[in-house]
Amino acid sequence: MSVFASAVRVFDLSLGQMLWSRRSVLLGLLLGGPVLLATALRIVATLYVSGFQINGAQAAGASIFGMMIWLLYIRFIVPVLGVFYGTALIADEVEDKTITYLFTRPIPRSAVLLGKYLAYLVCTILLVLPSVVLVFFLIVPTGGSGIGEAFPSLVSDLAMMAIGLAAYGAVFALVGTRLKRPLVVGLVYAFGWEPAVLLFPGYLKRLTVAYYLQALVTHQMPQDSAVSLLLQVFHEVPSVAVSLLSLATIIAVTLWMAGRTVENREYVLEQ
Amino acid sequence: MAAVVADHLSKWYGQVIGLNDVSVTVPPGITGLLGPNGAGKSTFMKVITGQLKPSKGSISVLGEPIWGNPALYHRIGFCPEQDAFYDRMTGAEWVAALVRLNGVGEAESTAMAARAIETVELTDAGDKKIGAYSKGMRQRVKMAQALVHNPDLLILDEPLSGMDPLARRKTIRMIKDWGRSGKSIIVSSHILHEIESMTPNILLINQGRILAEGNVHQIRELIDEHPHTVSIKAERTRALARELLAYDDVLSLRLEEDAVVVQTGRPDAFYARLTELAASGEHGAIHEVTSPDDNLQAVFQYLVKS
Repeated sequence: MSVFASAVRVFDLSLGQMLWSRRSVLLGLLLGGPVLLATALRIVATLYVSGFQINGAQAAGASIFGMMIWLLYIRFIVPVLGVFYGTALIADEVEDKTITYLFTRPIPRSAVLLGKYLAYLVCTILLVLPSVVLVFFLIVPTGGSGIGEAFPSLVSDLAMMAIGLAAYGAVFALVGTRLKRPLVVGLVYAFGWEPAVLLFPGYLKRLTVAYYLQALVTHQMPQDSAVSLLLQVFHEVPSVAVSLLSLATIIAVTLWMAGRTVENREYVLEQ
Repeated sequence: MAAVVADHLSKWYGQVIGLNDVSVTVPPGITGLLGPNGAGKSTFMKVITGQLKPSKGSISVLGEPIWGNPALYHRIGFCPEQDAFYDRMTGAEWVAALVRLNGVGEAESTAMAARAIETVELTDAGDKKIGAYSKGMRQRVKMAQALVHNPDLLILDEPLSGMDPLARRKTIRMIKDWGRSGKSIIVSSHILHEIESMTPNILLINQGRILAEGNVHQIRELIDEHPHTVSIKAERTRALARELLAYDDVLSLRLEEDAVVVQTGRPDAFYARLTELAASGEHGAIHEVTSPDDNLQAVFQYLVKS
């Protein structure tokens, strides 16, 4: 079998395990957070005020939705999912001592990683999708926005999140196969390194996934606060084409490196 | 063709030596790998199944190098020691899912899994979740995944560990049948009489070295000179203990929380009678029989000194 055909078999075996794991239950609960927040906002908007205001200006539901997508999903939930699943693709099998069954079958070891990565992608998209759609229907109708006109942005947001999950998953799969404390390193990367370097001008931000993802954001953010004006000064966003190409390169290179690592590494299971 | 050829094979983990300059040829047929815990059995098993790369020397399995050669797994079946599974799957689903990794189609994998499950006499439990299996059933479903693709070489790491006497007898019979059907089998254990009941061809391993190989009757005599300890988990331990005390080959006996721990001078006779006792059900169910490796350790210490 080819690497891809073998990976599809591993995907079949892994998806169910991943979907019904404790990790999915916990992260599913995390994804309920934005839905609860959206429900609360909707109730407030319906009962007490007509629409939302940010810095004194009226904000349409679509703008609030766009802000939630960027701040809650892209900058928080997508990296969290990437860290927790990506670093565990092989580590879970090693910890459960089930890796032996996969590594003593006639398939390349890199196919095991690729199959598990594909399972991760489908699993996380299935987790994120209901949450985003619910938030969309709860938030967008407030403040005069129409669901129909905002629907194309929902589709592009979902596509952006799928790309984000693919990129973060690949990066953290590499971290998981190479490093001893991948979870800590992953969390530091996603919530220390990325936010820090994005604030400052220079080339370092090109070593983040978030830098390329922000070019794919279609929503206009409210820009009249002092912080947002300061950020505007340093704001440099690559073109959509450069971002997509860069993210594709990140995914391909990190997955290839992770695959090579798994091929050559010896996994000593604790007795 | 030899099943396994090791040539000056060494494997170390940092400063710890797992295998030390091992040169051995494992012939076709059934071969027992015997040694106490920490002797290097598991390291040897992991090297011959391609999970570990030799630090020095070379290893070939069925005439080919195994490390980085996944195609060879079409001809090898491995039953690992660890009690690890995808517990949410049924036995039949798990075996079918693993044989699909050999490139087998959906319908064929289901049929092959059903045959393998039948071979290990688990048909009645094939549709139950593995999480609900007893230790003996889990051992058997592990063997089913090892033989499902009809490999030329079966590598079984402590396959009888934790089985009750009846399952143990059945499994030994199965392994001998597979050997007779032309398969090569390498089976590890720390209990000589288990290995001896399957094959006279034994590799003795201790401290990472092969101490002896071939038909080692003298080892048997040595074993008999040392008392053999057996721990039996049973439904009615007190009744079982009363029965066992009547046997003249029982040297000592003590009761633990849910087990009877016996020292015997004649393990073969003792195990035979224990199997009959389990089959009769006279003193309730016998759940698990284990033997610590102290028995073998004493013999190995004697061997190394002499």
